[in-house]
Amino acid sequence: MEYNGSAIIAMTGKNCVAIAADRRFGVQALTLGMDFQKIFRVTDRTYIGLSGLATDVTTLNERFRYKVNMYRLNEEREIGTKTFAHMVSSSQYEKRQAIPEFPWRFGPYFVEPVIAGLEKDNTPFICSMDTIGCINYAKDFVVAGTATEQLYGVCESFWEPDLEPEDLFETISQALLNAMDRDALSGWGGIVHVITPTGVITRTLKGRMD
Amino acid sequence: MTLAEPLPTGGFSFDNVARNAMLAARGAKPPKATSTGTTIVGVIFKDGVVLGADTRATAGPIVADKNCEKIHYLAPNMYCCGAGTAADTEFTTALISSKLELHSLQTGRQSRVVTAMTMLKQMLFRYQGHIGAALVLGGYDVNGPQLYTIAPHGSTDKLPFVTMGSGSLAAMAVFEAKWRANMTRDEAVAIVNDAIEAGIFNDLGSGSNVDVCVITKDNVEYLRNYNRPNERGVKEQSYRFPRGTTTVMSRKVINFVDVIEGDAMDVTA
Amino acid sequence: MPLDLSFLDLKPAAARFMPASVLAPLDGPLEHDAIATFDLAPVSNPTEFIHNQMSKDAEHRIHMAKGTTTLAFKFAKGVVVAVDSRATMGPYIGSSNVKKVIEINPFLLGTMAGSAADCQYWERVLGTRARLYELRNKERISVAAASKLLCNMVYGYKGMGLSMGTMVTGWDKKGPGLYYVDSDGQRLTNHLFSVGSGSTYAYGVLDAGYDYDLSVADAIDLARRSIFHATYRDAYSGGSVNVYHVKEGGWEFISKTDVFDLHYEYQDQPRPALV
Repeated sequence: MEYNGSAIIAMTGKNCVAIAADRRFGVQALTLGMDFQKIFRVTDRTYIGLSGLATDVTTLNERFRYKVNMYRLNEEREIGTKTFAHMVSSSQYEKRQAIPEFPWRFGPYFVEPVIAGLEKDNTPFICSMDTIGCINYAKDFVVAGTATEQLYGVCESFWEPDLEPEDLFETISQALLNAMDRDALSGWGGIVHVITPTGVITRTLKGRMD
Repeated sequence: MTLAEPLPTGGFSFDNVARNAMLAARGAKPPKATSTGTTIVGVIFKDGVVLGADTRATAGPIVADKNCEKIHYLAPNMYCCGAGTAADTEFTTALISSKLELHSLQTGRQSRVVTAMTMLKQMLFRYQGHIGAALVLGGYDVNGPQLYTIAPHGSTDKLPFVTMGSGSLAAMAVFEAKWRANMTRDEAVAIVNDAIEAGIFNDLGSGSNVDVCVITKDNVEYLRNYNRPNERGVKEQSYRFPRGTTTVMSRKVINFVDVIEGDAMDVTA
Repeated sequence: MPLDLSFLDLKPAAARFMPASVLAPLDGPLEHDAIATFDLAPVSNPTEFIHNQMSKDAEHRIHMAKGTTTLAFKFAKGVVVAVDSRATMGPYIGSSNVKKVIEINPFLLGTMAGSAADCQYWERVLGTRARLYELRNKERISVAAASKLLCNMVYGYKGMGLSMGTMVTGWDKKGPGLYYVDSDGQRLTNHLFSVGSGSTYAYGVLDAGYDYDLSVADAIDLARRSIFHATYRDAYSGGSVNVYHVKEGGWEFISKTDVFDLHYEYQDQPRPALV
């Protein structure tokens, strides 16, 4: 987790959800890129944020895209947000191996996913997972990455129920920016997606570049 | 020629083991799994069995979930509380639940609690404790109310009152002090509540609310958040930011369009 | 009534732990010169003890604030010193407003890299030593002598867990002085130094733009730019850039600039031609 660094949040609002991430791609102290994508579109109404080891972020995104496409072809419909979350969870748990022949070893992808989307009836759905797919459902907000402690702190005070899309954007953005300012391994700008029943608004944020 | 590599069909995959061993050797810290430093209990009463659990999930020192569900469904007459590695308790009970469903469909009978217990212990024993699930299994079958604990290595106990998890000592203290044979439903629910509260208040790994599940002959009462002794105070101030606080560098809007299944395409020439 | 000066004869309790090499350079006419004492852990082998406390697998490992970019260079008009202001504890940013230039006296500056506590403590001790030197010799201490005092003091604690990478700069009879001193006991002098986790990035910019005959304004800008680029690439450097200029009449504080503002200021400027 500390190898590349990241900060991801998802928050619910009134008939909307928002998901935000930092944009740093770094290897320990060295910052290599400032436009690394950590949030990916799954369907129109579902987005996934992947925090953790950058190589796994890329790999898993492609794997999930493959699975979602296969689901669409098999079922002739889009995958629901909750269904997708369980698909991610199972994919993660599959890599959690433990067999008697080997000493205790984890074999997961080093990624903590965050999923945000709207269900069919436009109710917001967000959840986060640990590296082995234990889902954490939440009604308010979920966080992941190296800045989790800071993010929990700001989200606990900033978040309030039933925020309109524009207010939700301000809340999630300020939570992200302020948390990143206390974490050395994440930052270098931010990106926020606000998902509403009528569309998705994507904004990049002006943040500290140190 | 295969165009796409087929996805694995089930079971654990070991693809990343060698790579992760390399990462560990290079000093990468292994990630923390969510665990339920937990208080879970069960008690048999006159007409059935009562299960109880707290609702805190932790990742190291962080409270990851303040209101998670630790009493998992196994079968219509059986529920199971999980402590330990959260993902393991979740997936182990889901797997056994699915097996029990198939088993009862196959046999045409209601599942028995011993069957579930045996399936769980055999699975956990096979994995030699590497699947970190500590369970309290309760249910009502042809033999009446049943209550078991299953430890991560596969050993089991059959007792009239049981506790598990990091708060098990606090909870057991309550049981030892207050338990009596042939309690009524309300008495049983009350002591389960007290035992979980003891865990919530005296064990740092447990917290938030009390979930209770009462299983009697042909009936289950799942009392989610039966007691909420840790209600959060009302925030005195709002941190709502005025619109425009955040400086935006770029903005992109994707508007959804409704695709209406229209008439067939006109193919006349 | 004569003043009671008997307290000056008391050797600090820790002096018995002090290696002879620490006390040696202090052996002047007055015994109370031996002020640079420092309590060591009351164990039979302090070096081994501290190694155990700081090893990766120690149960309660000592963590120290580290991660910095500092630089200083001599040029025709004196010395320019520039530093960032971030303090980190692991990946956590403890502060973004740390003063990493230590003002030892009106003619001497020290920079801070490694453990903040070690730098602050030993450079304060250096300040008192420099003052005593002035009182005794009726002239200011040279940068060379000051840096050597510091070097000798920390050398006495070599291997006992001190962590310090500092540049001592100032102006003396010989003109501008610049010395690098670290907790290993190394002491070097050169035209140009950069110290800390972001030093490689700072060197890149500094070497590309450095010229001995730079104007004061250009030298200050170069120093600031170098620190800025280090904060941009190095996760453990950031905050603001503090710049000082050391000249004949002593040092002068030039500026403190937030790198947030610098980034967007530089972004709009054409890149300086390097060749």
